[in-house]
Amino acid sequence: MTASTPTRVLTPSSGEEVSGEEARLAAVRRYQVLGTAPDGAFDRIAALAARVFDAPMASVSVVDADRVWFAATHGLDGITQIGRDPGLCASAILHGEPYVVPDARTDPRALSHPLVRGEPGIRFYAAAPITTRDGQRLGTVDVWDTRPRRPSDDQLAALQDLAALVMDEMELRLSALRTVAAERDRRADAERLARTLQRTLLPPALPAVPGLQAAAAYHTASADEVGGDFYDLFPLDDGRWAFFIGDVCGKGADAAALTSLTRYTLRAAAIYDPDPCAALANLDTVLKGEYQGDDPRHCTALFGVLDPAPDGSFALTLAGGGHPPALALRADATVEALSTAGGQLIGLLPRPRFVRTTTRLRPGEALLMYTDGLIEAHAPDGTMLGQDGLTAHLSRARPRSADHLLSSVDELLRRLGPGVTDDTALLALSVPPRLAPPTQETR
Amino acid sequence: MTEIQHTLSLTRHDRPAGPVLLKVAGELDHHTAPRLTAALDDITFDAGTRLVIDLTELTYCDSTGITVLVTAYNRATAAGASLGLAGVNPDLLRVFHVVGLDQVFTFHPTVDDALAPPHS
Repeated sequence: MTASTPTRVLTPSSGEEVSGEEARLAAVRRYQVLGTAPDGAFDRIAALAARVFDAPMASVSVVDADRVWFAATHGLDGITQIGRDPGLCASAILHGEPYVVPDARTDPRALSHPLVRGEPGIRFYAAAPITTRDGQRLGTVDVWDTRPRRPSDDQLAALQDLAALVMDEMELRLSALRTVAAERDRRADAERLARTLQRTLLPPALPAVPGLQAAAAYHTASADEVGGDFYDLFPLDDGRWAFFIGDVCGKGADAAALTSLTRYTLRAAAIYDPDPCAALANLDTVLKGEYQGDDPRHCTALFGVLDPAPDGSFALTLAGGGHPPALALRADATVEALSTAGGQLIGLLPRPRFVRTTTRLRPGEALLMYTDGLIEAHAPDGTMLGQDGLTAHLSRARPRSADHLLSSVDELLRRLGPGVTDDTALLALSVPPRLAPPTQETR
Repeated sequence: MTEIQHTLSLTRHDRPAGPVLLKVAGELDHHTAPRLTAALDDITFDAGTRLVIDLTELTYCDSTGITVLVTAYNRATAAGASLGLAGVNPDLLRVFHVVGLDQVFTFHPTVDDALAPPHS
């Protein structure tokens, strides 16, 4: 059991030994024990090793390419690493069994080691290798003494058990690291999925509508669970424009499929009959046909048609199915809710009602449509923002253009921070104020 | 009730005379909604059956929860039965208003109101 075989020294010229050492170093890096802070578990193991041998010093060491690092020490105060000189740790990892130097001063393998020749004057050294499942020896659990001694077989067996314990701990740590890495990958995947879904479900860019500024935004509340908010703005055949915004129930892939169906149904419905209530009724029929019986799905939506007038204003017809009202920001700075109250959820009720309202958007006026993630957001004091809170914010901020309107709501969402628990889609339209007759600019 | 988060507790009282009472407490969302669906599926709706769902201790209800309630309402109405909601809190009532369900359900301020014999 005691190591009487001659020391094998690594020779760089030996290809086999070098590639074996490369595999061992790869294992050391895999377990990432180098450069980590002293670990409580390893400290206890070092203390236990010292106690088993009734020795003053013990350590858990890891043999790197050119240094020996102490992952834990007991009684070796201040020593965190030593050179990879042969004779002690560096030699111990060459053996599958405990490596014992009963008296270093008379042992040719160890007598030139700096810890033997110099401070603290080591005489006795015993080590058991820390061996991975695939046979790579990462380092050793070592016991040191300044007196020569002969360990018992029981003590050496205990040292091997302690080395196995260190290995178990490292395996645990590796599997924890892998779990963390996998979790990180999973999150990155989820975020990628969310971005992809949004790209698929939302128009890449709003079309340019003559005489109108349009802007839209989608705020995600959670990277894991994609909500089913949607919007669109598109031309009708007769010079009018149609738009919609809505929210399907549920989250994730199911909601995404429903969102996609809803968006294409509304666009198709508008081609046949651009009446806003008819478009919502058409969607209601499609949803009921598609999701019957045990798994009904519904959505809420606002559907609008804009008809440009020669004076630069737009006649707006808006229909609501269970959706919070659009807010009109009037030229006199008042905020008016365009109520579609009484309009019901789409796709769920036997004979739903949809409610229509009409108004006119004049130059200098703007329109904001949103999904319930915005008004159901909570302030830090627990109160819900609500339509009243949103109206109050817009009355104070007095945004004039669609872009300004969105940046103002964006600021509100940022302020609410974690109080925003659901996705929010925003669609803003504004009619630019009529400019005074252009004056000649001089350079 | 001691349930605080992500829990839904369901208690059903079948009364020899008067409506079936189903108490729904806690959070009704896409995680817990299937349990309410199962509980409602167990109820047989016949002409004249009265079901009162007590939402007094419902702390949260998302769109999935609303789907479950409306689906039960549709089943009840198709069978000639009635379904009422009791103790709906103001926030949830506002949501019902926005989605147009305030015209669908019969609302009772409290369970006692709901259990009172129907006016003739």
